[in-house]
Amino acid sequence: MFLSDQIRRAGRSLRSAKARTLLTAMAIAVGAFALTLTLAASNGAQSFVNNIIAKNFDPTELIVVADQTVLGGGDASKPTEYSGNFGSSVSNSGAVTQVKRLTDDDIKKVKAVPGVESVREDITANLQYITRPDQKKFVGTMQSFPPFQQPDLIAGSIPKPLIGKQVLLPEAYIAALGFPSVEAAVGKTITVGVQKPPATGAPQTFSQAIVQDSVVQEFTIAAILKKPTTSQPGTELYLFTSQEAAHELNDISTLGTANYRAYTDIFVKVADGNNAQNITAVQNKIKDIGFYAQSVKDTQAFLTQIISVLQGIVIAFGLIAVLASIFGIVNTMYISVLQRTREIGLMKALGMRKRDIGRLFRFEAAWIGLLGGAIGAGLAFGLGTALNPWITAKVNLGAGNSLLIFQPLQIGILILILVIISILAGWLPSRKAAKLDPIEALRTE
Amino acid sequence: MIELKDITKTYGKGDSLFTALYKIDVAIPTTTTAAIIGKSGSGKSTMMHIMSGLDRPSEGDVIINDKALSELKPRQIDKFRSTEMSFIFQAFFVEANQTCYQNVMLPLEIAKVGRRNRRKRVLEALSAVDLEEKIDAQASKLSGGQKQRLAIARAIVNKPKIIFADEPTGNLDSTTGELIIKLLFNLHKSIGATLVIVTHDEELAARCSMRIYMKDGEITRIEGKSKQPTATSKKTRRV
Repeated sequence: MFLSDQIRRAGRSLRSAKARTLLTAMAIAVGAFALTLTLAASNGAQSFVNNIIAKNFDPTELIVVADQTVLGGGDASKPTEYSGNFGSSVSNSGAVTQVKRLTDDDIKKVKAVPGVESVREDITANLQYITRPDQKKFVGTMQSFPPFQQPDLIAGSIPKPLIGKQVLLPEAYIAALGFPSVEAAVGKTITVGVQKPPATGAPQTFSQAIVQDSVVQEFTIAAILKKPTTSQPGTELYLFTSQEAAHELNDISTLGTANYRAYTDIFVKVADGNNAQNITAVQNKIKDIGFYAQSVKDTQAFLTQIISVLQGIVIAFGLIAVLASIFGIVNTMYISVLQRTREIGLMKALGMRKRDIGRLFRFEAAWIGLLGGAIGAGLAFGLGTALNPWITAKVNLGAGNSLLIFQPLQIGILILILVIISILAGWLPSRKAAKLDPIEALRTE
Repeated sequence: MIELKDITKTYGKGDSLFTALYKIDVAIPTTTTAAIIGKSGSGKSTMMHIMSGLDRPSEGDVIINDKALSELKPRQIDKFRSTEMSFIFQAFFVEANQTCYQNVMLPLEIAKVGRRNRRKRVLEALSAVDLEEKIDAQASKLSGGQKQRLAIARAIVNKPKIIFADEPTGNLDSTTGELIIKLLFNLHKSIGATLVIVTHDEELAARCSMRIYMKDGEITRIEGKSKQPTATSKKTRRV
């Protein structure tokens, strides 16, 4: 029998048992539905992560640290040896950890590495307060603005380059600082207070520790930042200013401490960094001089690792549904073989080969798989596409991001896999059909 | 020529050994109409199965047109059956939920006949049994006699050299049965095939040019123009 004849005959015998075929296919459809949505959701998550990366990191830059715990490496269970270079940082739980920092000397060394174009310290200055005349004081953090970042603005514009005491203010501060509107805030000044560290060596009283000297500076608002949707967690309320202004603030607040002119991380721009080989080369050379360098790709891999785990769990559930449907197919196919004993006997009597009869039933199973896969994936696609805008708005992913992203090729491969699984499920029943004794099958009395 | 040489067929082993056929020796010349007559359990169906290669004998050999079936591989026998033989059954075995066209096409599909010739040949076969108007009708809508005519169309569509008919009128009333028999004999004549009818109906058997009577797995008598005198002589020797 020609292949096309077999495929048609298989389809025809399914049509003659519509209800049975459809019910069996529905079991696969459930699996296909779950898997299609999972794949779409993980595509969405992947692209969300990529968006975060693209908005926050320059792919031609490396993050360089002196202490690999900063990048989530190292062994936190072992005591760390003390060094004078250590600055202290306070973890979320309040514990003081010490992190080896990069000094100006270290930065010089990094700058000297061949292939390094420029180095930019990552400065995060802890402010004492932010305020305006006749307004309340608010705590805040000021960060050096990465030149490649393109945050969404609601008012004003980011000067290129951003220099001096200009600030990018998050939307949330507008009302808090008593501005009538976002537009009114642009060009106005805010007052920033920075605390000097306690003088070392001198005995300290409790009140001295509280009331320390503050330095007050004025900053001009250049632009208002829209509430970011793709920022790193915890940085939503960061104020941004120029590199040199951030530097100055940081110097004031750390003067005389171990953190003075010492940075947990620096950004190293690689010459011709779009070439992955250059990135890797510089990364290795920095490792050779005793520091740790992470590329954007590494960061991405770290973030997507979590997504992959979640994805794996949902896929496992989908596969369980598919597994359950396999038994449905096996059962249905056995019934089909039983019901069509006569037909199989006749086909054998007319000279149809064992192999062809087996194949006829495997095609039947394949049709069920195709039908189920198409129904499931189709429903998932339809439902997902219809509800996507609503869901995306609900989880507040922001413009340009979708929770679900459907990829036709992916869905095609999924359906193909389901068809193959169905064929495997139809293997035993099809063997039974192929092995059927035509004389027994054709016995009438 | 279909020759059965010393065919014995047994089932089971030891005490439960059952001999379905015992030393069958017969030759059916080409284009003959031959009837195999016997009560149920006489071994007539088993003999037809062995003749058509559906079943293998325990001993002996079937030789069809100088080809020994025992020397053929299963797939060669399948090919042989798909191109040179066909079957008509008591219970018709037409697929009720398929159209007449699809039913008649089955042997063409099995024999890998090219797509172009199919419809023409199906039409020819259907008009030979006077069913060409029903070509796209569901087989379930046909009467018993029409179903058997459809089965005959299916049996002749491949232009076989041998047609096996197993009690072809067994499920039909006598008038319809009569029509089917007439049709069968006319077609046999026009396509020049060998027709082997398994039956217990003496009247039907009487129309055949050769009659093989069977009882308890043995041939008791052969009537008609058998060109093989050995068959008779062996029979007498055994009796």
